[in-house]
Amino acid sequence: MHTQRDEATSTEQQVRETTRRFILSSIQVTRLDDDANLFESGIVNSLFAVQLMTFIEKTFAIEVGMDDLDVENFKSVNATTGFVLRKTGALG
Amino acid sequence: MIEGLPPRIAEASPDLHSARHDEFKAFVARHVAPCAEQWDRDQRIPESVLAIMAQCGYLGCSLPKDVGGKGWDVVTFGLLNEAFGRGSAALTGVLTVQAMVSMAILKWGTSQQKRAWLPPLAEGEIIGAFALTEPDAGSDLHFHDTPFTESSDGLILNGAKKWISCGQFAAMYLVFGTLGKNSVACIVPRESRGLRVEPIAELLGFRAAGLAELHFDDVFVPASNVVGKPGFALSHVAPVGLHYGRISTACSALGLLRGCFEESVAHASRRKIGDITVGDLGMIRSLIARMGTDLEAGRLLCHSACRAEDEHVPDVFERTLVAKYFTSRAAVRAASDAVQIQGAAGCHGSSAVSRYYRDAKIMEIIEGTTQIHEDILGKMFVDHASRLGAVSNSGAPESGKRA
Repeated sequence: MHTQRDEATSTEQQVRETTRRFILSSIQVTRLDDDANLFESGIVNSLFAVQLMTFIEKTFAIEVGMDDLDVENFKSVNATTGFVLRKTGALG
Repeated sequence: MIEGLPPRIAEASPDLHSARHDEFKAFVARHVAPCAEQWDRDQRIPESVLAIMAQCGYLGCSLPKDVGGKGWDVVTFGLLNEAFGRGSAALTGVLTVQAMVSMAILKWGTSQQKRAWLPPLAEGEIIGAFALTEPDAGSDLHFHDTPFTESSDGLILNGAKKWISCGQFAAMYLVFGTLGKNSVACIVPRESRGLRVEPIAELLGFRAAGLAELHFDDVFVPASNVVGKPGFALSHVAPVGLHYGRISTACSALGLLRGCFEESVAHASRRKIGDITVGDLGMIRSLIARMGTDLEAGRLLCHSACRAEDEHVPDVFERTLVAKYFTSRAAVRAASDAVQIQGAAGCHGSSAVSRYYRDAKIMEIIEGTTQIHEDILGKMFVDHASRLGAVSNSGAPESGKRA
């Protein structure tokens, strides 16, 4: 029997995998730690930030606005996953 | 699983796109093409034509209806720019910067900024200008250094911006600078104390686009005028504006390319050399064939970029870079060939192609030079191939990147 918690975990995994797949398709690395800081490592180009924003808006039906502009929301796979889950209300 | 975002603006049907394109072309034939040469000579666009454009909703066509815009999709915006590009690249520059400023504020502005600025921009009551380029810094945003410093209830701006399209007649500027180590973007009204607007004349092309140099001498900017947040101006605010600027410029260059093509085929079929026409000459046919093929390719690339923006897909930025890179370079080639086909007549200031020749070169420079586009796109394509592992033993890509 599926519990609410199982469902939340499943959604989190899906969001993380989808996000990781997009980021890996956009940057020049073959492996990526989910906590690796994308913007400090120099592996992203100047358009990556808006590409990532467009991706999460399109994929997860989120509108990223001025209040969301915080590096902590997008700095890694895990940070972006957490941001998506908070915005969609899937977390808590 | 969370559902994806539907298109932000309902896309018009192909029939409606076609009907609107016809409307835009008719507008240009009536209000723009007959005057473009005079505007170029006068180095100014009369307020009257901006007023008619505002009445038609063209100056705010991409903004949502709830702020007074038309809410048109980006394909329609592209067709508008294409039609205007055929008539006057300089006037199309107004559509370009209006969209750059409007869309950046729409995306990253506060509720208060949207309420204050989007309705007058949408209705064309005011023109906005995108103040990014500096006297000593061009396309590379990271070399910019217009300093903002903090004051008790806002920011103080010093420095200068140069080559600002519509700067002469804009009522407000979206100004990019630095606050310590952070990039910052602010709305600066034209009437701000300490702001001096110096017109730039005698340009090669875009002569009527009202370019200006802006000088800021201790200009006070209220904290409420910061767009986005400090630290995100170059990574998020500027790219949204520049992206719309590239869509507009790509389509404007396409319109200029169409102008070269139409002028060339008309001349080639009309101009006699003895018993034959210029168009009977194989060498002229070669030039026209190249122009017509570039025109068709440019149409497809621009449509692809505009559709991608309507669908809000992440590779829209790449598609737009490709479209702008292609059409601006194709416009330069076509304008050169169009002058060549008309000979001495094409070299005179009264010919549309001589203006196209000068304006086309500007298209390769604004919203990122050709070289900046090559640098970004070249890296993107190589990285993409590497990620796919698509390099065969011979070293040649097995499957090319879509472009």
